[in-house]
Amino acid sequence: MAVGDLALLVATIMGVYSLLAIGLNMHWGDTGLLNFAHAAFFAIGAYTSAILTTPPETGLLANRTVGASYPIFVGLLAGATLAAAAGVLIAVTSVRLEGDYLAMVTLSFAELIRLVIHNEGWLTSGAQSLKGIERPLEGSVPIRYDLFYFLLVLGVVAGSYLLFRRLAGSPFGRVLHAVREDEEVPLALGKDTTWFKLKSFGLGAAIAGLAGGLWAHYVYAITPNMFLPSLTFTIWAAVIIGGAGSYLGAIVGTAFIVGIRQVTRFVPSDVPFASDLPYIRLVVIGVLLIAVLYYRPYGLLGDEERMLAGSEEGAD
Amino acid sequence: MTDPILRAEGLRKSFGGLLAVDDATFEVEEGTIAGLIGPNGAGKSTTFNLLSGFYGADAGEVIFEGEHVEGLSPDERAQRGMIRTFQITRELTGMKVMANMLLAAQDHPGETVVGALANTGSVESREEQARERAEDLLKFLELWELREEYAGNLSGGQRKLLELGRALMADPDLLLLDEPMAGVNPDLTDRLLSRIDDLQSEEGMTFVIVEHDMDVIMSVSDKIIGMHNGQVLSVGTPEEVKSDEKMLEAYLGGSV
Amino acid sequence: MAGFDPQFVMAAFDPQFLWNGLVVGSIIAVAALGLTLIFGILNFINIAYGDYMAVGAYFAFAANTQYDLPIVVAALIGMVVMAVGALVVDKLVFERFRSRSAIVLLVVSIGVAFVLRNLIRIVWGTGSRRFSGPIEAAPQFFGIRVLPDQVAIVVISVAILGGTYLLLRRTRIGIAMRAASDDTDLARIRGIDTERLVTYVWLVGGAIAGIAGILLGLDAQIRPNMGFTALIPIFAAVILGGIGDPIGAVAGGYAIGITQELSVVVIPTEYKPAIGLLLLIIGLLSKPEGIFGEATR
Ligand SMILES: Nc1ncnc2c1ncn2[C@@H]1O[C@H](COP(=O)(O)OP(=O)(O)OP(=O)(O)O)[C@@H](O)[C@H]1O
Ligand SMILES: [Mg+2]
Repeated sequence: MAVGDLALLVATIMGVYSLLAIGLNMHWGDTGLLNFAHAAFFAIGAYTSAILTTPPETGLLANRTVGASYPIFVGLLAGATLAAAAGVLIAVTSVRLEGDYLAMVTLSFAELIRLVIHNEGWLTSGAQSLKGIERPLEGSVPIRYDLFYFLLVLGVVAGSYLLFRRLAGSPFGRVLHAVREDEEVPLALGKDTTWFKLKSFGLGAAIAGLAGGLWAHYVYAITPNMFLPSLTFTIWAAVIIGGAGSYLGAIVGTAFIVGIRQVTRFVPSDVPFASDLPYIRLVVIGVLLIAVLYYRPYGLLGDEERMLAGSEEGAD
Repeated sequence: MTDPILRAEGLRKSFGGLLAVDDATFEVEEGTIAGLIGPNGAGKSTTFNLLSGFYGADAGEVIFEGEHVEGLSPDERAQRGMIRTFQITRELTGMKVMANMLLAAQDHPGETVVGALANTGSVESREEQARERAEDLLKFLELWELREEYAGNLSGGQRKLLELGRALMADPDLLLLDEPMAGVNPDLTDRLLSRIDDLQSEEGMTFVIVEHDMDVIMSVSDKIIGMHNGQVLSVGTPEEVKSDEKMLEAYLGGSV
Repeated sequence: MAGFDPQFVMAAFDPQFLWNGLVVGSIIAVAALGLTLIFGILNFINIAYGDYMAVGAYFAFAANTQYDLPIVVAALIGMVVMAVGALVVDKLVFERFRSRSAIVLLVVSIGVAFVLRNLIRIVWGTGSRRFSGPIEAAPQFFGIRVLPDQVAIVVISVAILGGTYLLLRRTRIGIAMRAASDDTDLARIRGIDTERLVTYVWLVGGAIAGIAGILLGLDAQIRPNMGFTALIPIFAAVILGGIGDPIGAVAGGYAIGITQELSVVVIPTEYKPAIGLLLLIIGLLSKPEGIFGEATR
């Protein structure tokens, strides 16, 4: 592939993952919720949209017997909706848990969802990939397709960014922030904090679901292995490195992380250690995550003043 | 005076083997100031937590504005007009002073997702109205200059004031204040008390105040509720409670 | 499909499943023991624990196959390396975050997990490995297929559990550990040097993680993400047993292993992992107040 193609590919991945980071920033950055089920919301969006827009397999080895050929935007919408529903459902059972326990519960739910996707081949093609997912408007756009898709993703990212920033800056966001700081205060002031947490969970999951749909219709084929917990962890790293609470930070952090992960695509394969590069870059991400938490807990673009407020002379 | 706005009937709460509140019964008349006193560990804060719904009572009833509220959650009780402050200030450290105040605005249409996104005229005017009220309160509390400061950076006394301001911002019918003056400088304390007096006489707001400074609480209250070991020992006018043998004993026996 | 097919009901008592469950349960029990000791005293969820197990397994593997050492010696090496390794990770990373919240530490441990797992991939590659040893015939006892490796797993785990029990009951440091696990602050008041305690906890917990990883590798294969993927049932055992409660964790471990293996009678085999997941979810949700009442935080 030419460098230009590669750049578009990487930029599109950055865009899709940015949406995940935007959703997670609403959960963690704004509301203080430890959602570790993000990969599952992404998966639900991807599979829902794929199944609704891709007819069942035919032939001798047919595995998936369920499918439809709705228009792609219906699939995307349904994916986002279903992901939101899953988010709210998980939240209903668990948002009352203390922070790190919420992390474990959501992680378990996510793995349960992945297990179902993996095992229910009639619906999802299971461990084999769900193939032949259509791309929107392919063949009918006047510009090269990967550029078109990148612009599409970019538009969605920009729209989501504006939308979520607006939410965060509104009275609604103010209550979320209060929940993040100390849930009992908004509770004492008459805010139904559980309800706010559910809404936060639903909104963040919805955008992750939309990201999943955009992913599915970009990559043609999806498999359960695209939605491992390590994806959730990667998005967490992106949000924290970018600066929790900042939506721009979430996008920059994602670009940064995806950049590190994808940079190897640009490296010729005959340099020393070329085959180890994928793992070296993951080591780098791990080290960066720890270093940022230690030296710069507010991340690249987070609010230093806010992070340090009330913490006696700042960086402990 | 008038009808009771608040009635506690046989409230009880134990922590393990410790009976923190033991069969507490009292009422507070509408538009009055009641002082809740008692030595350390008497059960005053626990009583507040039971009234406001932060703790579930083991037994007893809470009747607010003529209705049973013991089955309601803290936010529902607050929405009905019963607002409490915390003894240990709970400022939202990572939010600015102004945001702390605005949070307390009630019935804000901008707190729904649709309202937040549409940002209609009613949202804006509610926000504007809340800002004006917050400005008024912050100026009075001498926190106006600090409105863009993160609450976590305030001093102890300033935090107490912010906590009080936030509670007032919610426009309560009944305000439960847990040691609102602790750590606040004396000049301001006097002004706070006179403000509370004004709110009571002019707006008919009702207060229950926990306060350790006897001179202060006796002078400001219409009625004193004295607690000891979780029990309501004495209820009456400040004079009556002051001269109540049981209360004197409780204080002498309790702390030094 | 299931219904009340008598064959299914019979299968519930199939001693083969019970034996398999005992083997898996032994591994989970040992792993949960190490995790609960660390969790009880350090008070944060260490996501990297699974990768500690993998590191132990890989060092033992290297000693065993690359340096041709007998498996017993190799296992000891794996244990020691991971004991020291856990301490080193603490000094390099966790210690610096001691004053931070449990949530920050959880996220930090994700970073540690990333580093450890991918270092393994760089050093040993991504493929799966096995300890060297003759492929032995599986003797049958009363119709149960019993592999020598499985017997070893069960016996070794009993030895580890017994040894740890004695450590916690009979040694000064062990008793201090239990006290601190009940209440970190209390232990400080009683004059226990908590930092020294932390050192011992990492050593003991790390060694146990190492051997748990080796047992896991003995039962199945050695893969870079072997520990991470095994983490859910281990956490479930810790939670069900009560955080910081060693006996509870061990009991939980056996219970989960056996339940998981017996579950194939009623649910499709491919849903076996759901048992650990569901038990973890149920365990957490049924204890909203930070698990075991006042707990440790
Ligand atoms: N959450 C709790 N868990 C266990 N015990 C508690 C709890 N809250 C209060 N207590 C105990 O209940 C008793 C009453 O406490 P409370 O805080 O109500 O006293 P108080 O009258 O407000 O005292 P102070 O004047 O010191 O604020 C005390 O012995 C206290 O230790
Ligand atoms: Mg008190």
